[in-house]
Amino acid sequence: MTSLWLAWRTTKRYRVRAVLAVVGVAVIGALLFDMLLLSRGLLASFADLLNSGGFDVRIVGSEGMPIVRLPIAGSTRLANELRALPEVRDVVLIRIERATLWSNERTSRPVTLVGTTQASGGPYTIVRGDDLPRDSSFDRCPILVSRHLAASLGVEPGSSVKISVNPDGVRSALPAVSCRVTGVVNFFFASAGENSVATTMTALQQALSEPAVDADLILAASQPATGPAAAVRAIHRVRPDLRAYSNEDVVALFNQNGFAYFRQISFVLSSLTTVFAFLLVATLLTVSVNQRLGEIAALRALGISRGRIASILLWESALLVGGGALLALPLGGLLALGLDHLLRQMPGLPERLHFFVFQWRAVATHAALFGVTAAAAAAYPMWLTARLPIAATLRREVVG
Amino acid sequence: MSVVEARRVTRLFPMAAGPVAAVRDVSLSVADGEYVAVSGPSGCGKSTLLHLVGVVDQPTSGEILFESRDVAALKEAERSRIRLVRIGFVFQRFFLLPMLTARENIELPQAEARVPAADRRARTRELLEYVGLADRADHLPSQLSGGEMQRVAIARALANRPALLVADEPTGELDEQTGGHIADLFDRVHADGTAILVVTHNPVLAARASRRLTMKSGSLVS
Repeated sequence: MTSLWLAWRTTKRYRVRAVLAVVGVAVIGALLFDMLLLSRGLLASFADLLNSGGFDVRIVGSEGMPIVRLPIAGSTRLANELRALPEVRDVVLIRIERATLWSNERTSRPVTLVGTTQASGGPYTIVRGDDLPRDSSFDRCPILVSRHLAASLGVEPGSSVKISVNPDGVRSALPAVSCRVTGVVNFFFASAGENSVATTMTALQQALSEPAVDADLILAASQPATGPAAAVRAIHRVRPDLRAYSNEDVVALFNQNGFAYFRQISFVLSSLTTVFAFLLVATLLTVSVNQRLGEIAALRALGISRGRIASILLWESALLVGGGALLALPLGGLLALGLDHLLRQMPGLPERLHFFVFQWRAVATHAALFGVTAAAAAAYPMWLTARLPIAATLRREVVG
Repeated sequence: MSVVEARRVTRLFPMAAGPVAAVRDVSLSVADGEYVAVSGPSGCGKSTLLHLVGVVDQPTSGEILFESRDVAALKEAERSRIRLVRIGFVFQRFFLLPMLTARENIELPQAEARVPAADRRARTRELLEYVGLADRADHLPSQLSGGEMQRVAIARALANRPALLVADEPTGELDEQTGGHIADLFDRVHADGTAILVVTHNPVLAARASRRLTMKSGSLVS
């Protein structure tokens, strides 16, 4: 006859109260769990997105957040110098331009054109067709198109299209170049409805009619033995005028600026939901104890210790809160799926970015918070029974 | 030898209009195996005296000696231990735990006293037969009549073989015939050597006691 067993029998006896408490805690707990998922989910998803390309250092020519891009002068030569660094394993040049893609004489779409020196395995997954060729000498303008663009223009691998580049701030009169679609892909960083095209840097040079094109973003992969921080330091020594950020730096910058709003909201809401759970269980337990004062005084008169009665109440609280907290996990998971779907409808978000990401850390925090809630909710009823005057209570019960 | 002795005990309760003496300068001794009944009108202090002798309350003045130990000098945990293993309580309203069966209610004080499970089960079976409820062992209190509940409560009070059984109006919620059965059961308990102190309005039950006392306005008058 352990305290847990007695608490379980009490919980079973007062079934309606127990069900109300468990359901209440489950609903509150689902919100709490979602807030915990949200507090770090966006960050975790963003970090995952950055790491998915296989490059852990980003080099840009501008100050501040690495999203505003300026061309990096002498980027081809710089790439060769960086490749020679012992801390760097691989380097890829990226240039992003606005362009127009024609599937025929009359049908066109504005697109984001990404030129890259990466031969294959870029930040995309191939849906149909092939990757960009390693040697582009046989194919003067191979391109990959986003799934949305392929569907909207009706192009498939093997289709011929034309692209003309429209550089920012320049009234363009560049001739359109003929290109061949090699594959249809999902770009990691593209939003759901975005029209994106990737091609080789050589093809982009031709489209821009320039003998050499400077990259506006350089991606570097650090040597696993030295890590990204050492690579960042080494790159800074080579070109102190540029900004190199490891993926961790980028995530930290976004955490301080772009995502702080979500973290603050989730902190406020998770604090509130924890307080609600505490109030719900504390109220139910206090009411229940007040209804059972005679029974508890009788137990004390029979010699059942204060400690035993307190531990029964603590277990009762743990069963109610624990039951609710367990139910909250699948409930919160389902709610998170729905909320994530809603939030991801915001325009301009990368398709692979999620707001709610499952993390064991969130489950552990959820469990810890509810553990504290159960103990706190039982504290007042425990104090009430510990101070219960046995004789006066028995007298009141008989008179009442 | 006395199981419990009250020496000139007074119990005052603070009231808005000034303290009220529920028990006034009462001395009482219950000897080993003795059966004492206390009667008197409502509000005369019978239950308060019972709570003092049963170690659930402390006198404002005077002494309670339980098996020669001054109760006032004991810590709450020690008093609780005395109530668990040396005193059995029977209440007017039974106070059985509603979520436990008759058997489990009787086992509870034994479990608290850390009686091994096998001994506990054997003692519970014995007590259920003793009170004539062997066939109701697995019934919840809500499935028992008032008389049956009081018999389970008496079995629970006897579970740890107490030296003293204290009963506060044990027939107060029962009809005359059922009250008579409970009085018979108290006779058996007394005959088996347990001291009993019963507070009652029931003249039939009081008549069974070997010593009958009357209280009036907080004092023992006979």
